Amino acid sequence: MGEEEKAEEKPEEKEKFTLHFPNENNLAIIAVIAGVIVSILPVLPAFVKGIGAILVILWGADSVRKTARYGLGTGVPSIGVLAMGYGIVGGVTGIVIGSVPALGGGGIVEPGVLVGVVAVGVVGYISGILANNEKFIGMKIPGLERGMAELGMAGALAVIIESSMIAGTWNAAVVIPEIIETGVIALIFILAAFGMLQPFNSCLGADERRGRTLLVSVEIGGLNCIIFGVLASLIQGMAQGVPLIALGAITWVLFYSAYVRACLNEAHSVVGTGLIKTMR
Amino acid sequence: MDPIILVLILVSAIIGGILASLGVHLLPVGGAPAAMATATGVATGCVMLMTGSAVTGLFTASAVASFWEFEHANIALVALSGGVGAMLMIGWTMLIANLLYVFGAGIVPVSGRVAVDPITKESQTEYKTPRTDGHGMPNVSYISGMIGGFVGGFGGALIYVTLENYAHFSPATAGIVAIGIFIANAILAAYNIGGTIEGFHDPKFKERIGVGLFAAFVVSLLCGILVVVAVEIFPSLGLGGAL
Repeated sequence: MGEEEKAEEKPEEKEKFTLHFPNENNLAIIAVIAGVIVSILPVLPAFVKGIGAILVILWGADSVRKTARYGLGTGVPSIGVLAMGYGIVGGVTGIVIGSVPALGGGGIVEPGVLVGVVAVGVVGYISGILANNEKFIGMKIPGLERGMAELGMAGALAVIIESSMIAGTWNAAVVIPEIIETGVIALIFILAAFGMLQPFNSCLGADERRGRTLLVSVEIGGLNCIIFGVLASLIQGMAQGVPLIALGAITWVLFYSAYVRACLNEAHSVVGTGLIKTMR
Repeated sequence: MDPIILVLILVSAIIGGILASLGVHLLPVGGAPAAMATATGVATGCVMLMTGSAVTGLFTASAVASFWEFEHANIALVALSGGVGAMLMIGWTMLIANLLYVFGAGIVPVSGRVAVDPITKESQTEYKTPRTDGHGMPNVSYISGMIGGFVGGFGGALIYVTLENYAHFSPATAGIVAIGIFIANAILAAYNIGGTIEGFHDPKFKERIGVGLFAAFVVSLLCGILVVVAVEIFPSLGLGGAL
C-alpha cells in the first residue's frame, strides 16, 4: 500500500514555463526590423522606443549566449562589454552622420543613423575574423564572426535608441549636450551591457536553457526602461516618461516572476534556508 | 577639417589602441584559478583590470588637461599623467591582492612559469605548492604589471588628449570615445592571451604578442576611421560648440 502511494506521488507533472522565443535567426530579424524602425523614426513616443530597446538588448543577449557557450577563456562579461565598446563608437558616429540634413537629419524619417550601425557591424565582423582565424588569435568558436558583428550592431542600436528614449531624439544638437556631456552615456553603456551579458553570465551551466536565459534579458530590458523613464521624465516631461516607466515596471514584474517560476519548476528541489520566506 | 589633423587623429587612435593591447599583455592576470590562489596574478579578468586602471588614467589625464584652458594641452604631459594614474591603480590593486594572498591565504608570491625570477634572480620552484601554477604577484610580475598599467594608461590618455585638442571634442565625448576604442582593443588582447598570463617573462607573451598587436592595429584603424568620419562631418552641421 505504501509503495503505491509513493508511485502516485511521483508523477507530479512539473509544469514547464516556456515562453516560445523565436529561433536565433528569426529573433535577429525581428530585433533588427524593430530596432531600425524605432531608430529612424525619432518622433515615436518613448515607450514604443522602449519596446525596440528591449528587443535589441534581447538580440544582444542571444548573441552573447551563442558565442560565450563555447568558453571565451576570460569570462562572459567581456563580450558584453565589447559589444558596448563598439556600440559607443558606432553609435556616436551614427548620431553625427544621421544629423546631416542631406541624409534626412531633422526630418521625420532619419535613415542616416544606420550608416554608423552598419559600419560597426563591419568592424565587428572583421574583428571576429581576427579573433577566430587560426592565423591570428585562433579562438575557434563557431559563428564568432557573426556573433561579433551582431553584438556591435546591437550595441550601436542600443546606444542610439536609448539616447533617443531619454532625449526624445538622437539628433547631435540635442544628444551631445543632454546625453554625452552629462555623462548619461556611461549609464547607457553599463545598463545595456548588463542586459546583454548578465543573462548568460548568471544562467550558464549544464542545464542552461535558452528560453529561461532570455527571460532574464527581457527583465533587465524592463529595468533599463524604468531607469531611463525617470531620466526621460526629467528631460522630456511626464507625458513621455511615465508610460515608459509603466512599460518597464510591467515588463520587469512579468518576466522576473516568470523567471523565478521557471527556476523553481526546473530545479530538482528547492529548499528554504529559513532566512527569507520561500515561495513554496 | 585639415587633412593633417585627421591623419593625426587616426594615428593617435592606432598608437593608443596598440599600446592598450600591449598593456593588457603585460598585466599579471590570474582569472578564476587565482581566486583560489592556484595561479599567479590578480584574481580577475584582463578586461576588469585594464578598464579599471585605464579609467583611472583617463581621470588623471583629464584633470591635468583641464589646466590648459585656452590653448592646446601639452600632449606628452597629459598622456604621461594618464600613464601614471593607471600605474597607481594597478599598483595598489596588485599590492592589496598580494597582502591578501600572503596574510590571508598564507602563501608566498611565486611564479609558476619560470624557475628563476629574471629580475631579482630569486629561485621560484621550491616555494611553489605542488600541482598549482604559482601564487600571488612575484617581483617580476609586479614590475611587468606596473609597466603594463603605464603603457595602457598612456595609450588611453593619448587617444583622449588628441580628440580633445585637435578634434575639439568636449572632455566628456573625448573620454567616452577613448574608452570605446580602448575596451575593444583590451578585450581582443584578453582573448589573445586566453585568460591568464604572468607578465613579460611568461612564454605565452613572446608566443602571442605579435598576433595581438596586429589585431589591435586592424581594430583601432577601423575604429579610428569611424571617429575621423564623425570629426570630419560634425563641423558641417553648423551647430557650433564642441562635439
